[in-house]
Amino acid sequence: MDHRARVYDNVFEMLPSEENPTPLVRINRLNQASAFPLYAKLEWMNPFGSVKDRAAWAMLRDLEERGEIGGPRGIVEPTSGNTGISLAAMARARGYHMRAVVPNRVPLEKKVLLKIAGADLDVVSDELCPAPGLGEGSINLAKTHAKASSHKYAMPNQYENEKNVEAHFRTTGPEIWKQTGGRITHLFLSLGTCGTVTGTSRFLRSKKPGLKVIAVQPTEGHDVPGLRNVAQLSVSTLFDRSLVDDILEVDYYLAYTRALDLCQNEGLLAGPSSGLILEGALQIVARDREGFGVMIFPDNIFKYTSSMVKHIPGLAAGTSA
Amino acid sequence: MAMNAKPEVLVETDWVKANLGKPGIKLVEIDVDTKAYDAGHIPGAVGFNWQTQLQDQVRRDVLSKEAFESLMGGAGISPGDAVVVYGDHNNWFAAYGFWLFKVYGHKDVRLMNGGRIKWLNEKDKPLVTEVPPVTPAKYEVTTVHLNLRALLPQVVDAQKRGWNLVDVRSPDEFTGKVIAPPGMTETAQRGGHIPGAKSIPWNMAVNADGTFKSADELRQIYFEQRGVNSAKHTIAYCRIGERSSHTWFVLKYLLGLSNVKNYDGSWTEYGSVIGVPIEKG
Repeated sequence: MDHRARVYDNVFEMLPSEENPTPLVRINRLNQASAFPLYAKLEWMNPFGSVKDRAAWAMLRDLEERGEIGGPRGIVEPTSGNTGISLAAMARARGYHMRAVVPNRVPLEKKVLLKIAGADLDVVSDELCPAPGLGEGSINLAKTHAKASSHKYAMPNQYENEKNVEAHFRTTGPEIWKQTGGRITHLFLSLGTCGTVTGTSRFLRSKKPGLKVIAVQPTEGHDVPGLRNVAQLSVSTLFDRSLVDDILEVDYYLAYTRALDLCQNEGLLAGPSSGLILEGALQIVARDREGFGVMIFPDNIFKYTSSMVKHIPGLAAGTSA
Repeated sequence: MAMNAKPEVLVETDWVKANLGKPGIKLVEIDVDTKAYDAGHIPGAVGFNWQTQLQDQVRRDVLSKEAFESLMGGAGISPGDAVVVYGDHNNWFAAYGFWLFKVYGHKDVRLMNGGRIKWLNEKDKPLVTEVPPVTPAKYEVTTVHLNLRALLPQVVDAQKRGWNLVDVRSPDEFTGKVIAPPGMTETAQRGGHIPGAKSIPWNMAVNADGTFKSADELRQIYFEQRGVNSAKHTIAYCRIGERSSHTWFVLKYLLGLSNVKNYDGSWTEYGSVIGVPIEKG
């Protein structure tokens, strides 16, 4: 494959690797600390639009290699959107069917995108006074399909699948190491399934044991799709607390306002989780004063226009005649 | 360690598996998420829809005695059967179903400890999508136990009598910060709680795997930490009566309180009635 020419035989060849990394772009106007540059890793440059391409591809290939899918057997997966969009598009392009089980709080744009990508959709009410430790309705309904209709569905299960971690150990970590020439001192990311933090940190720590890993969390009661705060993390078995130096809790409203800042000041059309990460990174820049930071920006703003209007109502002003 | 007050009403998933298909034992799944049964259920279980089958479809009320008889008969359940109910969300609506069975005098009803999530997460427990064939049965209700149900006048009266009022909703619903959990269609005109009610969220009664805590732990929580007076009558309430059924089950069957009522009108009724006192905070 010649990534310089960017001519490919199929879309899967575009998936990122050390030779074909997603871009790192420096933050200029919003961070002027010359002793602590911040770079954003633009994961929306993945072919299916988000960081989840990495885990989705690794999990799908694993199912294929083990002969778990094919014929009448497709996949079922609980998803807040991005994994589902990646999985659905990949699965359909390879001839499998896909059922996505989605929490109701997921924005309409993502639900429609899942259908456009070719998924059958189950929407469940997830935030119904949940009990701690019990998992979420979407995870349980997907598990039910996988167990009761095992002839129709295999479940990748991004919350428990080590391939999710391995994908980042194999791609995201080496990409960052190479792109920064080993200069990275701080890694900033958010927590969802925790595949990104565990896989990327594990690789980078193997190269630089003193690397600081900072996870940025939305405050409780948040509605930032795909993210979990500490109280919600028990659904994932992939979280390794020993790899994370600091967990910053940031008012979730700032996810939306900081995303707007990125769009309007940096030309980076970043989504709310990226906004949250930027806010956390700026707090650490003020604290540590020196460093070389990389922020993993999971996806762009296009799927979140309704969420943005909900939190920043002024965006709707002047949009009708 | 102390036993539950009435251990016969709580069965474990292993017991259910060992008794699958045995005559005289009927399984009933009742879920919050009405899609769950169709996605997969325990072999042989029938599914009841709480919205369309356990409520009167015209006035706001539980299903009538005649409707209950018809529902049972159609599901092939006889008065002498042992009925095991289970469901999602920690058995919320399964507990509500259990309560209805008891209101209509069914003698042998049991709740599956841990509900469908425990079954789902145990590798040796099968799930199927096939709806079981049912032989219709004749079901006649002979006694109705209205003493298990609190209606609005009793709830108002209970405040004067100093009964235990147990609010099992989330802390934010109790204080009035929110009227209902996000996205719920059943709501009320005001937020807050019934004056004098104790806030004991339903989930204080369960372990991380969905099973009930031990009787000793429950005693500690309800009697010692939260001050439920076991010598007094008790009314449990929530928003629409399903989470409070769960706590009603705990208080009556696991802790053995003799007079416990479920207020199924709950906050959607109380929080909308003109003139009744409300507390906030």
